[in-house]
Amino acid sequence: MGKLYDQHVRLFDGLVYDRVAYDRRPGCDPELISHGLEPVTEIEARGMANLSDVDAELLTHKLTTIVEEARDVYQALSISEAIMVGDMNCGIFTASGDPAMVATGIYFHTMLNNSQLKYANKYYRPDPSVGLADGDIFFFNDELGGGVHPFDMFTAMPVFWKEELVAWVSCGGHQGDNGSPTPGGFNAKARTRYDEGLHIPMMRIGRNFLLHQDVLDMLAGSVRNPFVFTSDLRSRVATMQQMHKRLVREIERRGIEPVVGGMRMMLMRGEQAARARLREVNDGIFRVVMFNDDEIGVGPGLTRIPVTLIKEGDEMTILVQGVSPENSLGPMHSTWHLTRAATAVYLFSYFFRGLPPNAGLLQPIRYLVEGPSIANARDEIAHGMGTGIAALVANGAHVLGSKALFDSPYRDSVQAPHSRNQNVFIYAGENRLGYPTANITATANSSGQGGRFDGDGESAIGFFWGPFTDSGEIEDMDRRLPHFVLSRRLEKNGHGWGKYRGGAAYVEIGTACGHTGCFLSSWGAADKLSHNPGLMGGYMGPPNPRVIIQDTNLIQMIREGKDIDLNNYEVVRDQTISGTYRVEASGQPTEHRNEGDLMMYSMGGGGGYGDVLERDPAFVAKDVVEELITPDIAFKIYGVALDRATGRLDKAATDARRTEIRRERLAAAKPFREFIGEWLKKRPPEKVIAYYGDFPDPRAPGYDKPFWGIYG
Amino acid sequence: MRVRITECIDIDLATEKWMCNRCAQELGSAHASYKQGCVVRERDPHEIHPPRGPNKEFNFSFDPEWMRIIEYYCPNCAVMVENEYLPPGHPLTWDIQLDLEKLKEKHGFAGVAGAAAKAGVATKAGGGEEGAGSK
Repeated sequence: MGKLYDQHVRLFDGLVYDRVAYDRRPGCDPELISHGLEPVTEIEARGMANLSDVDAELLTHKLTTIVEEARDVYQALSISEAIMVGDMNCGIFTASGDPAMVATGIYFHTMLNNSQLKYANKYYRPDPSVGLADGDIFFFNDELGGGVHPFDMFTAMPVFWKEELVAWVSCGGHQGDNGSPTPGGFNAKARTRYDEGLHIPMMRIGRNFLLHQDVLDMLAGSVRNPFVFTSDLRSRVATMQQMHKRLVREIERRGIEPVVGGMRMMLMRGEQAARARLREVNDGIFRVVMFNDDEIGVGPGLTRIPVTLIKEGDEMTILVQGVSPENSLGPMHSTWHLTRAATAVYLFSYFFRGLPPNAGLLQPIRYLVEGPSIANARDEIAHGMGTGIAALVANGAHVLGSKALFDSPYRDSVQAPHSRNQNVFIYAGENRLGYPTANITATANSSGQGGRFDGDGESAIGFFWGPFTDSGEIEDMDRRLPHFVLSRRLEKNGHGWGKYRGGAAYVEIGTACGHTGCFLSSWGAADKLSHNPGLMGGYMGPPNPRVIIQDTNLIQMIREGKDIDLNNYEVVRDQTISGTYRVEASGQPTEHRNEGDLMMYSMGGGGGYGDVLERDPAFVAKDVVEELITPDIAFKIYGVALDRATGRLDKAATDARRTEIRRERLAAAKPFREFIGEWLKKRPPEKVIAYYGDFPDPRAPGYDKPFWGIYG
Repeated sequence: MRVRITECIDIDLATEKWMCNRCAQELGSAHASYKQGCVVRERDPHEIHPPRGPNKEFNFSFDPEWMRIIEYYCPNCAVMVENEYLPPGHPLTWDIQLDLEKLKEKHGFAGVAGAAAKAGVATKAGGGEEGAGSK
């Protein structure tokens, strides 16, 4: 490693950093998960040697069109809520199992599938009881072998040309119900992996492009939505067949060596381009500390996930150290590979923006994820909501990447992260088309973007994991889901303030459908704190707990033709609808909901960028008009005075108010040394840090000076 | 020569000092954290994110027992250069620690040779203790 790493990084004894925190197990070889790109094969070397730049470029574009077509095919054929709106991915891998071309959707899906393909290559292909042949169909959803969580299900297919394995294709996404105790998949109260339904490592489920009906029956018989499950599995096979056909056609046109060599060249060029960009970024160490309010199955508890980025020359280390320990009480535990892959969502979309997304981009980056911990947990632990922890690392990387990129040619990628205030509702029941369905709702795909260095974040931009996702058509959702949507509004006062504010999220209010009602659970965090950091003086967005209003008079009001304002801000603040209000933590078990019960949720607004007092007062006035903020926020936070009657900006009063706030700041603040002496004597209540580990450093009892802190 | 490092913070390559981008106030050695040159304020998060709804435990704001807001201002012009949301008593973060030697090289600063004798990144001036482990 480099000078900065050697001088400043100290890893703790007795913990693992560069691999998963568990050993070899069925369907899982930790070595395959963490060792990066496979060596160049002879055929790849021959292909690269004879490939012109023009042909390489043409092939890159051709493979891009293949995966993008596959994405469209998969989304069009699927009837799964999450997949239809983009919580999915398609990819083409080298014969060795490295992702060479990735379609948009959820990047990290494809960044994880590689280890399962490599497992088949290493263990099953030479095994006569399994083997590997053209047209084989494999299925996997086990997070330990390289998946996300068991609700994300994938299929893979090897591509042969005249007995030669030339590539793999795969596709998959958030399928939903997997036979977990909680309908729809997530189990907020899971304590071990055995509380989370089916976990299937790489398993062949078909040959010669045909699914085995007996295996399909076993899988479909293990979930609550067999019709949706079967239909979606077939749609995945059809998608892979299309990719297979297109890829073979390219080999027929160009020959095997140029195609195989071209795929390898994409990975190598990806790595070269990533290194070139890194050389343009300042060398240094960048640190951020993220926190979670994990429900932990028995009540909320504070946990910590610090992220450090060490950038030197054309390499970078992402160090996740000083993490709270595992707890055996809840499912918010990530794995080494999920934590790594999660950062790809930020890196591919922002840090390496414009470069072809493939595994080569991650080659210059070393990932050190401390384990066993909530960021790199052992195998028996429940991992179903590990994406919540991995997302904090991705959010941290986003903050750090923005600070590293500011003094670089890539300042246009500087912004606060998307909100990851996870609050997902999981439904189960019979829909209006008459079949059982169980999944998450697409409203998750409408969080707010963080404020940018040159403008406000976009509102309801997409899913944290996939900015390209959509939140779905309400009319279609009303047919497919066992509940229906009453209101979708941009949230008032729900984003981070700043010179450039964060984007607002949609808040959806829905109710159960018809006399049968529906079953509903939810999972998430960011109820007592938030997961949407601000940047460079901008504030975080606020927490957003879930809201249930039971036994309302809503249906009666609708029948009577009354005018109902379903703006969630006023409904919660003023309780404008009669009923029993439950504002509570996002992670809750399954309950039956009746027609008229209201479910209210969002994924939170983005954090702000820069000092609030530098926001153009005209923008603040516009925010009030558009009901993104209330007038008291305009005055108290932004220092902007508006005429109560007309809403017009009062420039003189605004100047006076902002001068007053600046005076208040200097009067209330203390010099650093004076401040820190008092600050470090404080400590959260013990009930808050019951699951945190030792405070302040979870991994070093009695040690209060971890390497990233400042102490005056 | 001043180089802008964040929205409100510069580094003067000649003096190796952090500077306020808005008013040119010096904010201390660039071998340490710029936060040490700021004035600092602890705030109850309810002042910034007003609670709402009937539940005191979950109210669309940060729980003050869990999180406090630490604001860093320029001591001259009071611009907020950064803030942090931290549990009470949690150490403040040394967020940006640049290799000044490399920074000068990148910007073609003539004083590179004179600074070469210094360590690339200071380890003492920030006051941060190095190393909690032993590997």
